[in-house]
Amino acid sequence: MTRDGAVRIEVENLIVRYGAASAVAGVSFRVEPGEQLTLLGPSGCGKTTTLRAIAGLERPSAGLIRIGGATVYSSAQGINVPAEKRGLSMVFQSYAIWPHMSVFDNVAYGLRVRRVGAREIEAKVREALALVQMAGFERRPASQLSGGQQQRVALARACVFSPQVLLFDEPLSNLDAKLRADMRIELRELQHRLGITSVYVTHDLEEALAMSDRIVVMREGAIEQIGSPADIYNLPRNAFVADFVGSANLIRGLLRADLAADGLAAVETPGGEIVYGVTHGRPLGPEPTFCVRTVHLRLSPTRPAEARNVWPVRVRVCVFQGDLTQAHVAWGGRELIVRGAAMAPFAEGAEAFLSVDPACCVLLEDS
Amino acid sequence: MRRWRVELSVPTAVGGAAAAVAAILVLYPIYFLFQAALNVGDAEAKPPVEYGLDNFFALGRYWEILLNTVTVSLAATALALAFGFMTAWIISRTNVPGRHVLEQLMAIPYYVTPLLGAFAWSLLGAPESGFLNQAWRALGGEGYLIDIATPWGIAWVMALFEGSVAFVMIGAVMKSMDPALEEASQIIGAGRLATMLRITLPLVAPGVLGAAVFVFAEMLGSFSAALVLGLPSRFYVVTTAMYQLVSQYPPRIPLAAAMGVSLFVVMFAMLFVYRRIVTRRSYVTITGKAFRPRVMDVGPLRFALLGVCLLYAALSVALPLLTLAYASVQKIAVAFPAAANWTLDNYRTATTMNAVRSALGNSLILGLATASIGVVLMGLISWIIYRSRVPGSGIIEYIVMFPQAVPRLVFAFGMMWAWLIFPIPIYGTLWLLLIAYLTVFLPLGIRTISGVMLQVDRSLEESAQMCGAPWAYRIRTVTMPLLRPGLMAAWLLLFIASVRELGASILLMGPNAKVITPAIVESWFASSAELTAAMALIQTLVVAGAMALFLLLTRRASQLSPE
Repeated sequence: MTRDGAVRIEVENLIVRYGAASAVAGVSFRVEPGEQLTLLGPSGCGKTTTLRAIAGLERPSAGLIRIGGATVYSSAQGINVPAEKRGLSMVFQSYAIWPHMSVFDNVAYGLRVRRVGAREIEAKVREALALVQMAGFERRPASQLSGGQQQRVALARACVFSPQVLLFDEPLSNLDAKLRADMRIELRELQHRLGITSVYVTHDLEEALAMSDRIVVMREGAIEQIGSPADIYNLPRNAFVADFVGSANLIRGLLRADLAADGLAAVETPGGEIVYGVTHGRPLGPEPTFCVRTVHLRLSPTRPAEARNVWPVRVRVCVFQGDLTQAHVAWGGRELIVRGAAMAPFAEGAEAFLSVDPACCVLLEDS
Repeated sequence: MRRWRVELSVPTAVGGAAAAVAAILVLYPIYFLFQAALNVGDAEAKPPVEYGLDNFFALGRYWEILLNTVTVSLAATALALAFGFMTAWIISRTNVPGRHVLEQLMAIPYYVTPLLGAFAWSLLGAPESGFLNQAWRALGGEGYLIDIATPWGIAWVMALFEGSVAFVMIGAVMKSMDPALEEASQIIGAGRLATMLRITLPLVAPGVLGAAVFVFAEMLGSFSAALVLGLPSRFYVVTTAMYQLVSQYPPRIPLAAAMGVSLFVVMFAMLFVYRRIVTRRSYVTITGKAFRPRVMDVGPLRFALLGVCLLYAALSVALPLLTLAYASVQKIAVAFPAAANWTLDNYRTATTMNAVRSALGNSLILGLATASIGVVLMGLISWIIYRSRVPGSGIIEYIVMFPQAVPRLVFAFGMMWAWLIFPIPIYGTLWLLLIAYLTVFLPLGIRTISGVMLQVDRSLEESAQMCGAPWAYRIRTVTMPLLRPGLMAAWLLLFIASVRELGASILLMGPNAKVITPAIVESWFASSAELTAAMALIQTLVVAGAMALFLLLTRRASQLSPE
């Protein structure tokens, strides 16, 4: 259980078809040794199918999968190593804890398959259960565990035989919100401590941002963007990623090359407003789109000092949501959404000033 | 690297072999059935020298039999549905006392079987000697009160026992209905009656229609009641006519085959319609959630409704069994026996007669073998159909469910022909019966096992695979233990069904390898009703004893296991 044994996973041009429909349509990515990679996307985007293809539970139609340098699937060479020979382990969405066994037997299963001696099994199961804070539950029938406990047992069962790779198929989606938040941190710590290469599938943005070294955003069987959580959040490549990863306002307009200054690009919206933003080296078309996170917009009763990206607006609705306050403002003939933690409440119809740092207006690639 | 391919195919190969065996078992006899039906040349020639449709045209001359079949089946279906609907509604939707006990009770008629019912009701309702008619005359009545040896009598007996099937099917529909659908109607302001008419009935109607089609198909193929009650008065339905054509001398095989094929086609169409109705219904009531159906408070009327349920149970279970018991301890069965008429000779004869003992022994051996082999075979087939992703598993499902659409007598007919020319001489031996049972009970076993299999989440097996367990190890440690209730139920059902099988056995058993149910029927026609009653009760007791022993053993086993 050390970082030294960690392996790399390579997926090249993976295609999975069900009849005529493609669930995964040519996906390529790598998971570095010891890295935690997350496949993120809405339901039906092919993330679970991709994970199951890596696991060997789903037979791909074409492509190549290598784990630790060994080819486990290759359509060209006619190789398809069965799941049980791939040296992986997996935590399932339904936990898949065997109800006819005790907690001990559940966790010991992978060791017994490998014909480990009884004394070693005893020691390793204890160690694994301690790792997930389930020490003392060995004799408990698995059918008498709560959801969170089953989750922990599933995790212990997946780690106990020191697999080369850990796969997670939405493991937290059946837990309640509070437990989910706690388990997120625990899983992250555990993965770091074990240093196992892992692939994690979720549709939950916060989970992906909190747990991953890198995120692969998928849609309709294809990859939309690969990057660190910060990159994915701050520099979405296109409208889909911008929208799926957090809430964003998309602002589209005509390029005003004449107004460009200080390395900023300028755009004039259909409503006549001028917006300055950053390009990050992405090519500028004649009608670029900027992505502005709702939390980066600021709403104030008085005009701020900045020269650029300040507009007088009228507040349409202002809703207090606890941690955040959300306001909808009329701007340039359309509506923008502003969310802020420390925002003073505005009355409906109030006049205010909207502003945003041009560094937070990010050009999208597909504009 | 090539060897991975081989290893991957191990489970598929084992399951595929099982599926192939099943497909051969099913299709081989069907082929011979059709061949015989199309044979218009020399009936003795194998294979036929001349093919044509003449046998089917000849069926026109037997229109009376077809009419009989339809009349009896329709009457029996209507009656069975009435029994089923009434009891299902009372038990699932009203606050009748003891609902849970009643629900168990309603399944029992199915286990009593129409054959026993036909014997008992014949003893009760024969015009001259029937107990009920004797009682009627003793009370001053003229002639007879009922005559069971009529189409209506046959339909009555068939309906009593099929009513329990209708109860299960309709009850499932009523129970799976979300009570919120009715509550919503009442909140909007519809009264109880309006809700019943405009919400409840339309929602259960497809389910009831499905049950009607299914029950009608079963009635078309049913054999034993029509044989026992109709044969003496030469009243034939298609199945008994077929039996007559095959067992008379000279036999008229091609004509019987044509009848069998026609019946098979009609039943196949009916079951196709049934499947369509059931699958189309999916949007209505079945949400995969178990609801607690809303129970209507019917006040003191509930005791009357309890009476209705108990009356049904009495007519279909208590009365037949008591009648048989009553007749079996008399020399000549009468309603009001003299002291000298009481005897235990029938039991003595039944238990000492070599023919009966060997037939019962053979049946038990066959029951054990069918159940044990069947569970393995049908378990593997279920796995292939519902768990593996082998292409063509949908076709396998269709083939193995085929026997459902073929009356066992018709199937046995094809089998008789098929195995007669088979190079290994198994005709007339218990082996042929074993093969026949394994074939005709494929749908029963597979449905029982797959019902449980579909409830076991696939990820439970997959997680064993991800722990590194090879196929056989997974099956042994995870799949089998999780399926144990389904496998045990399938074993028991196969055992019971085999020991009591009549339609296939009556055609296929050889003179030196008899089995019990046809022997009982033979005794009914050739010996005495009293001896037959004793034999039937002995068979029932043996089956009940085997069931009790089995339940005891499995309970013991589950107590010993680590859970």
